[in-house]
Amino acid sequence: MFPETLSTRLLKSIGVGLCLLDSASHRILFCNRTFQGWFPDAAPESPVAAVVESLGPEAMEDAIASGQVEIRAKVRRRTLILEARVDRAEHDGRQMLILECQNVSRLRETEAMIDSYAAMVDRRTRDLEREKVQVEKLLLNIMPRTVYEEYRSFGSVAPRLFEPVSVLMLDFVGFTDMAAAADPTVTVAELNDLFTAFDRIGEMHGCERIKTIGDCYLAVAGLPHPNPDHMLSAARCAAKMVRYLEHRNRTHQHKWQARIGLASGSVVGSVVGIQKYIYDVFGPAVNLAARLQDISEPMEITVSGPMIRELEQEFDLACLRTETLRGFGDTQIATMSDRAPTAAVA
Amino acid sequence: MTTAVTRSRSLPLFEKYGGIRMLRNVIMDFYDRVLDSDTLGPYFDDVDMTRLIDHQTKFFAMMMGGPVDFSDDRLARAHASMAITHAEFDEIAALLTETLTAAGLEPVDIVTILTSVERRRSVIVRR
Repeated sequence: MFPETLSTRLLKSIGVGLCLLDSASHRILFCNRTFQGWFPDAAPESPVAAVVESLGPEAMEDAIASGQVEIRAKVRRRTLILEARVDRAEHDGRQMLILECQNVSRLRETEAMIDSYAAMVDRRTRDLEREKVQVEKLLLNIMPRTVYEEYRSFGSVAPRLFEPVSVLMLDFVGFTDMAAAADPTVTVAELNDLFTAFDRIGEMHGCERIKTIGDCYLAVAGLPHPNPDHMLSAARCAAKMVRYLEHRNRTHQHKWQARIGLASGSVVGSVVGIQKYIYDVFGPAVNLAARLQDISEPMEITVSGPMIRELEQEFDLACLRTETLRGFGDTQIATMSDRAPTAAVA
Repeated sequence: MTTAVTRSRSLPLFEKYGGIRMLRNVIMDFYDRVLDSDTLGPYFDDVDMTRLIDHQTKFFAMMMGGPVDFSDDRLARAHASMAITHAEFDEIAALLTETLTAAGLEPVDIVTILTSVERRRSVIVRR
């Protein structure tokens, strides 16, 4: 008797819910305390379908065939999820079914929580990805891609000497007197249109826009990648900008006149500032381009020194003269203009 | 010489306490307490477990600076039909305090979380 009493006690006290059913009638023969805790109506002779809602005759047949079934129990306001194994057994010639139920609610709840968290992280990752693209776009507006990539990899940017490069400096004539300047909205729209067009022209000719200050536009050819034809690139870019403005002025209400200076030499490129930073270039070529732009007539491009010889094959260079420029002394300069398209060298 | 661009980063409480790996037991404890509460439990009588867990996970993630954030408008819309009372809101705060204290969070962090919850009272409570 002792072992049998022990078995009964054990069966009653374990955390697994056990229920013995008559194989033919599906009436309960025995159930332990855990099972009764989940299904308080469970008692010997009760049909299992009356106790466990989801174990109707059809479900029971399926459970017997597959050997397992998932059942639910409502304990107070909590719905428990129970995984039940169904085994056949025989005792004293009586055919029985053993329902062995494990409470997997906590496991399912944890899975649900992990799913919820994973969905949150996925959404956040997508948001961050979108934000990253926006930030990258913004940063690429203020620094060349290679500089941006250096900053992204190392968190800092080392100042770098670029030599030789050609600097293009463009400024609009009489900007403050223009009707467009009276209305800031129009000014911004117009400058946005013009600078966007200049950016496209620069892209076509290997000229990188460095910055704009008000109505002034600064671009460099030969930076960040060395370009042996930097002078030609800057000159083609300048000529195209003038042509674009001439064409635009024929059809637009606001007429824009630009002066352009082109100069070659070395520049140092670096990120300036810590919290509010900007990529900028420094060096004599920048200053010289500014002086040349300053002495240009409206819609005129002024070039100097070695550029004159380099460009004469492709462009018309007129008014060859020597001017005294602040900080540079006597400088040989010329006015550059586009040749007629039929005579131009591609 | 290099130009350094500094990046500031403060650790949110969600990360400080080990993220979801460590906080899942705290969230589960809170879930149990809410279900067992006679004041709040009835709200969840007919609510699907997955939805309730999703709600609790988002609640914790939001209050502790995890990977989710809802605008006040969205919170107001989500709770509008529930007609939550001040007493029920107080019960949530009390259960949260019990849960966080049992989990061993630093008192100063518990205050931070409760302040964050309290800040949304006017958005959640409608009667």
